[in-house]
Amino acid sequence: MKLLVHDAGPLTTVQDLGRMAQLRVGLPRSGPMDRDAFVLANRLVGNDDNSAALECTLMGPRLEFADARWVAVTGADVPVTLDGAEQAAWTAFPVRAGGVLKIGAARSGVRSYLAVSGGLDTPLVLGSRSTYLRGALGGIGGRALRKGDTLPLGRATGAPAPRRVRAERIPTYGDEPSIDAILGPQDDRFTSAGIAALFDGPYEMLPQSDRMGARFRGARIEHTRGHDIISDGIALGAIQVIGEGQPIVLLVDRQTAGGYTKIATVCSYEIGRVGQLKPGQRLRFRQVTVAAAHAALSARRAALETAIA
Amino acid sequence: MIYPEPRFLPCGDLAVSVELADEISREANARVLALEFLIRERRVPGIIETLPTYRSLLVYYEPAEIGFDALTAALRGLAAEARPEVLPPARRVELPCCYGGELGFELEAAAAKLGLAPDEVTRLHAGADYHVYFVGFTPGLPYMTGMPERLNIPRLVNPRTKTPAGSVSIGGIQCCIYSVESPGGFWVLGRTPARLYDPAAAEPSLLRAGDTVRFRPIERAEFDAIAAEVAAGHWRPRVTA
Repeated sequence: MKLLVHDAGPLTTVQDLGRMAQLRVGLPRSGPMDRDAFVLANRLVGNDDNSAALECTLMGPRLEFADARWVAVTGADVPVTLDGAEQAAWTAFPVRAGGVLKIGAARSGVRSYLAVSGGLDTPLVLGSRSTYLRGALGGIGGRALRKGDTLPLGRATGAPAPRRVRAERIPTYGDEPSIDAILGPQDDRFTSAGIAALFDGPYEMLPQSDRMGARFRGARIEHTRGHDIISDGIALGAIQVIGEGQPIVLLVDRQTAGGYTKIATVCSYEIGRVGQLKPGQRLRFRQVTVAAAHAALSARRAALETAIA
Repeated sequence: MIYPEPRFLPCGDLAVSVELADEISREANARVLALEFLIRERRVPGIIETLPTYRSLLVYYEPAEIGFDALTAALRGLAAEARPEVLPPARRVELPCCYGGELGFELEAAAAKLGLAPDEVTRLHAGADYHVYFVGFTPGLPYMTGMPERLNIPRLVNPRTKTPAGSVSIGGIQCCIYSVESPGGFWVLGRTPARLYDPAAAEPSLLRAGDTVRFRPIERAEFDAIAAEVAAGHWRPRVTA
């Protein structure tokens, strides 16, 4: 009923869909950066969407299974081997007791997800198993996995039928994506040239990016009168622009409040795509209305329901 | 000023910021907290979570349950009713604080900057009531004002990279208690042995938006004694309604 961590990878954390109702005490929701990939990994092995699974960053772990399970790997394009034999990603496959699973270096994308039937059974902290590194809570002692850790597993509810994500639904992460964003909350603090610069792009992601925020470099985004505001709440995807006029997209582990202008907000259904960008890769922001975003969100949710064959 | 009508600022496809004023004031903040209170009381369908700050409330919603226009209509109605009187009485929380010495390592420098004796800074700081506008930035960190005018001090020119958790500090007209070790640009006057943020507690933040905080000066021996109780999980601050 457990996994033994032979190698952890540079940043592998336990996540479920996140911690609710704690923004007001300063805790972000956390959860997976790429929610769709995470949910599909769970569904492939017959878990609930909110079951805890592993989020791997660039390089995955090497894990030994104490008992037989079904597993699935989704997200970034990574080599997966079981006892040395290559396995397909986006497909559920069985692991025998004693099997050793290895997830290698991402060829494209950044975050891969490993779901295990029964889910990871680390302790619930404030209603969630998600790891929040800055708050040192959730997952295993509030930290990333280490070599030698053991991860408890939940009871597996029988073998799922072999399932896979339809080939045409497997995302690719290599191109220069166009990311939907909605103006606001502080678009009135930018010049029209500043707003045009944001949507003309492109912006290149910088290495100083993590689960808290992704930093970008591109055309300067001009303010009308300074970048300070009376501190307010920071929504997921907020595009904060400070002194140098460069955007920072605030992500799942962001600070909950802050005093800098936010020109626009990346739509919820695009956060996963931002989380799969590698440093040096570029994106463009595309302005959409709230109504158009709601239609797109609804279409994305419907597509998720038919992604698994 | 407090706006005659709230402003609704879209924050992506799942949230909207309801901005009630363009100022930091007790009145504006009380209206924000009252709006949040009414949303909870009336259980507006489709509202998932709220986050109050100085003068605005961030509202997360589920667009499959409530559209943007229906949401803002409901919020406009509640904002009209959101007066400070609807709120339950504020809690008063007393926090022990050891001023000066190695725990309050910038008391003397702050006093020199302000042209006051260190004891006078302590007396003024501990003699005031502080209002918690909201909690955030880092987990459990209270945004507070209520400082006597004479303690208004520019922020540090060179912010520290590390400030110990529990540090009681001032900058501008604000008083801040660092809830976890973090960088900081406020002057550290003292330290409270209370744990502002405890992820293992049922309520992880010691303070809540709307609380009134008062500091009780303590000596180092009492600080150490309380710190030991905190570590053992026995200590609770004095809270009155």
